[in-house]
Amino acid sequence: MGTSVLCEDLIKVYNSRKTKVTALDNLSLTVKEGEVFGLLGPNGAGKTTLVRILATLLKATRGHAEVGGFDVDKQENKVRQIIGYAGQDSERSAYWRLTVRENLLYFAHALRDIPIRVSKERIDEIAEGVGFKDRLDRHFIALSGGEKQLVIVMRAILHNPQVCFLDEPSKSLDPMTARRVRTYLKKYAQEHGMTLIITTHNMLEAEEVCDRLALINHGKLRFTGTPAEFKKRVKFKETLEIGTNNLSKELESNLLTLSGVRDITHDVNVRLYCDDAFEVLPEVVDLLKNSGLKVPVKMVEPSLEDAFAFFVENGEEEVKTSA
Amino acid sequence: MPNPVKLFYMSVWRNLLTMTRYKANFVFEILSSFLFGFGMIIFAVAFDVNLLSNMVGSTNYVAFIIIGISFQSWQGTALWGSASMFQGELSTGQIDYTFSCPFSRYWYIASNIAASALQSTLFFIPMFCVALYLTSSTLTSLGVFLGLIATLLTVAVMAQLGAVFASLVLKYRQTTAIFSFFNFAFQMLTGMFVPFQLLPTLLQIVGYCLPITFGMDLVRHHVMGTLPIMSVTYEWIGLVLQLIVYTIIAKMAVMYLEKSAKEEGLHYL
Repeated sequence: MGTSVLCEDLIKVYNSRKTKVTALDNLSLTVKEGEVFGLLGPNGAGKTTLVRILATLLKATRGHAEVGGFDVDKQENKVRQIIGYAGQDSERSAYWRLTVRENLLYFAHALRDIPIRVSKERIDEIAEGVGFKDRLDRHFIALSGGEKQLVIVMRAILHNPQVCFLDEPSKSLDPMTARRVRTYLKKYAQEHGMTLIITTHNMLEAEEVCDRLALINHGKLRFTGTPAEFKKRVKFKETLEIGTNNLSKELESNLLTLSGVRDITHDVNVRLYCDDAFEVLPEVVDLLKNSGLKVPVKMVEPSLEDAFAFFVENGEEEVKTSA
Repeated sequence: MPNPVKLFYMSVWRNLLTMTRYKANFVFEILSSFLFGFGMIIFAVAFDVNLLSNMVGSTNYVAFIIIGISFQSWQGTALWGSASMFQGELSTGQIDYTFSCPFSRYWYIASNIAASALQSTLFFIPMFCVALYLTSSTLTSLGVFLGLIATLLTVAVMAQLGAVFASLVLKYRQTTAIFSFFNFAFQMLTGMFVPFQLLPTLLQIVGYCLPITFGMDLVRHHVMGTLPIMSVTYEWIGLVLQLIVYTIIAKMAVMYLEKSAKEEGLHYL
């Protein structure tokens, strides 16, 4: 498989009179042809900036980037011919008074130069794939936020691009629709050899769809590899989940003093990250009992979300690059 | 890569679909155009006919002003139509998608201006017909033909200025006040509502740089038989020269401002 996307030492600095923000800081990565590649990172990490540079919408301050072998800066029209793009927060970005079908026909024929007959067939085919055929003749303005988002995703692959950039494509979608779209996009990418680059905060989506992931934080690349490799990189391989999110400060401190307990996080439940969960389990149960808490405690595998939190919180972790 | 003709007819198709979607509004917009034309007859009573006759060689103030209003409509479309479109695309985020597509930005702007001008024409044809009816005594086939050519040429030159203004939106995002400033200047310095000959010399010099001045004067001359502000041949040459110069400026401005906007990002107001 050849290289579909190449970034070398990309730097992007946003300069205004008062502030100077480095959005990308010497970022290098490669994405192979036909790969489904996920870009993860906390808000403001630089994911969208990277996608916008690759989609020829933004100019890098320094560095070099190629899409499909074309330089994004010097051969931008060649790049535009082979890419599809759905930006973040773009669910309003179509003509409100036109129907979905009319919108897609305009974008396909006028802006993407697809013959009208082929455009109509493509619209039906893709709408069928994502389960939207019954709403093609509704006005765009009458759609829900999630439906509008879906139209924008459909528009991005309408012209069968070689490389498609989707910036948080499932943000407004309900879980069922998100799953259906994920499945369709993955299948579509495999069948058409399309390279798909997705930015997402949805770890389930990243795990299910992506062949490889990159984690970006503060504009720097922290990790690239498969989702499985990503999870394996979490130093504390074992996790104990305590069925409450309401522990006293004292109890938390006591839990952290236990031998082999490395960290503690709160979400719906409390999670203890340990070197050996089985070994520490009896002591944890004892501490909870002594505090008068009767809550379930179970051993769980670290999730992609755990790995994400680990990498974000341990920001200076060295970059592991796998081609 | 999409060609300008395809961009143009698809933009016309899109605009027609959009404006005919609300039928009652569409019908009343056309009716208003007729009404406005006839309403001008009342307005004409208040105007000093002798002054107009001395200045422009015609006493037909109704036709004079209707042609001015028609030009104002085309001016609005050509100068600001595309800029408004870009502002809309910026506020909805559509500009991201548009600019990730492979076509010439200059032709995208020009095609959309042409499509909007066609749409404006549809609404102003009734009013323009009223003006032609009122000038029937001086009207000839050649006059109508030359009037139309002058109109098309003027709209083409204004579209170049429109492309420059549209590009300004890419760079400066919010440009409403800039539009208002220039819009007022264009209306006052070109003889749109008051005869050009009444303007002080300094303002007349500025007016000569604007395509509407020659365009409107040529239309009034050929349709109504008014006295031109300078030799008709020079006015035609002036319009053609303006088309060449403003096209070069527009292409360079679009290229420069798109590059410049890419430094900060194109998206969102």
